[in-house]
Amino acid sequence: MIETIRFWAIVVLVVLGLFFTFVSAVGVLRLPDVYARSHTASQTDTLGAGMALAAVALALGWQNATIYTVLLLFFVFITNPTAAHAIARSAAETGIEPWTPEEDGNTGQSQTEGENR
Amino acid sequence: MIDPAVGLDEFFVASAALFVVLAIMMFYRAIAGPTTQDRLLAVNVLGTNTVVILALLAAGLGEPWFLDVALIYALLNFLMAVAISKFTVERGGVL
Amino acid sequence: MADRRVLVPLSESVTVRQTVSYAVQTALADDVDPAEVQIHLVVAVPYEADLPEGQDKIEFATSLLERAAAWVREDAGSHSHSLTIETEIVGDQEYLFGPRDYAKAFAAYADEHDLECVILDPEYQPGATAPMLQPLERELDRVGLRYDEAPVERSARHERLVGPGSRSRLFAMFLISYGFYLTLGDPTYTFDLVTGAAVAGIVAVTLSHVTFTTAPTLVGSPLRVVRFTLYIPYLIWEIIRANLAISLVILRPSMPIDPKLTRVNARVRSGLPLLALANSITLTPGTLTVRANNQQLIVHSLTQVARDDLFEGSLERAVRFVFYGREAAATATPKERGDAEVIGGEEL
Repeated sequence: MIETIRFWAIVVLVVLGLFFTFVSAVGVLRLPDVYARSHTASQTDTLGAGMALAAVALALGWQNATIYTVLLLFFVFITNPTAAHAIARSAAETGIEPWTPEEDGNTGQSQTEGENR
Repeated sequence: MIDPAVGLDEFFVASAALFVVLAIMMFYRAIAGPTTQDRLLAVNVLGTNTVVILALLAAGLGEPWFLDVALIYALLNFLMAVAISKFTVERGGVL
Repeated sequence: MADRRVLVPLSESVTVRQTVSYAVQTALADDVDPAEVQIHLVVAVPYEADLPEGQDKIEFATSLLERAAAWVREDAGSHSHSLTIETEIVGDQEYLFGPRDYAKAFAAYADEHDLECVILDPEYQPGATAPMLQPLERELDRVGLRYDEAPVERSARHERLVGPGSRSRLFAMFLISYGFYLTLGDPTYTFDLVTGAAVAGIVAVTLSHVTFTTAPTLVGSPLRVVRFTLYIPYLIWEIIRANLAISLVILRPSMPIDPKLTRVNARVRSGLPLLALANSITLTPGTLTVRANNQQLIVHSLTQVARDDLFEGSLERAVRFVFYGREAAATATPKERGDAEVIGGEEL
């Protein structure tokens, strides 16, 4: 009984992990500029990775390697947003301006991506 | 209905393969750019995917020491992202 | 040439004594009339008065000012009766965010009292955050206030290693790193126990001051850890909820995104609380912290829904709960305080 629940929990976690990683990949390919891409890269990807790692931890059961996996999970959750923040900040410092939809008239600076370096 | 002990290992390896496909998708952004930060971002996501792949393989193939590799890989991935973002900014002080 | 009317910002650093005597020397140089000399000693209090530690900080500032005034009299010698010494606490009425606000507060004070120059302590460090000499100098340049860095002997720096609280820092750092080592290793294996102790010792000695900007306390720090574990489920729930929302947006073929930059002034202190808040904001999809200067966060938001969530400030309240306790969590939302606004890309 418990084994079946665990089995299905693992399957669901891995599938959700795959789904979120897929969303993140699509986001990185589709979204218009660095800032928007950082969103999916840092967040959706972190959740996807976190779920897959949780599934691994669950599958390994109660042993030493599980501690590694949990540490890895924590590490990914702390470092991924920090790395995305560093990347976005460096983009901001290099002078890349964020993309905005064309129809608004209040800011006239919406440039196409790639004009700045 | 499915015997838990049998299906799981193959399931892990198969999902690792799918993660590889998703990681390969990142290469488009890493090559196309257009900015250094875009490439860095793509490589960072790729690195996270690699960590997950290593963990899944560790569970699927029953090789717990893969997790050591994954831990170090995650560490280097983070350091790389921070170091390169710092490098691209002239003034320094990214974090 | 020399400045007669100077402003000296003070903080509890090893070089504060030397800075005061340098200020007195320059002000009294060239045999001027001591009656013209004015030395204004100020302590900036970056804490909100309603926080529990705020009251302590103000008492602490008062005692530092008393000591500094005594130093000035000592250094001025025979002139000590003719020169003017003013002491003041700034920032207890307003909320100081960082170098820019400090510079503004000093400039306002200098304006009010018609002061010519700021004498800066190279180790100036208000509050418990990182040294802020360089950013402060940059901001002083911006507001157009002249400053002079006191030439001090840095040899006194090693004193800080045995300053107040360093023992608890060392101990906490040692425990954390030893615990980490043993979780990865084998706690029953003697070799791991010995090497772990050696490694943890080295880490504690070299890195304890980097890790803890404030000394950990026996009750407060574990309490924060407990509150942080309460915060984690809430954070995970927020992450999943927002992730689903953003997934729908990204996967829809028309991709209805509306990216905008926003600025939010967060009411948490720099250092670990700010890191926790910035990372939480980044982790909830739709919002990404681009910059965290002082307490001012530049946040890139992907959709209107995410922006509204951000302006509601639920994460900020949660982080305040973790670091300052339940009472501090009940604060106005950034929108209500007018601390949140949408900005254009040119303001980066």
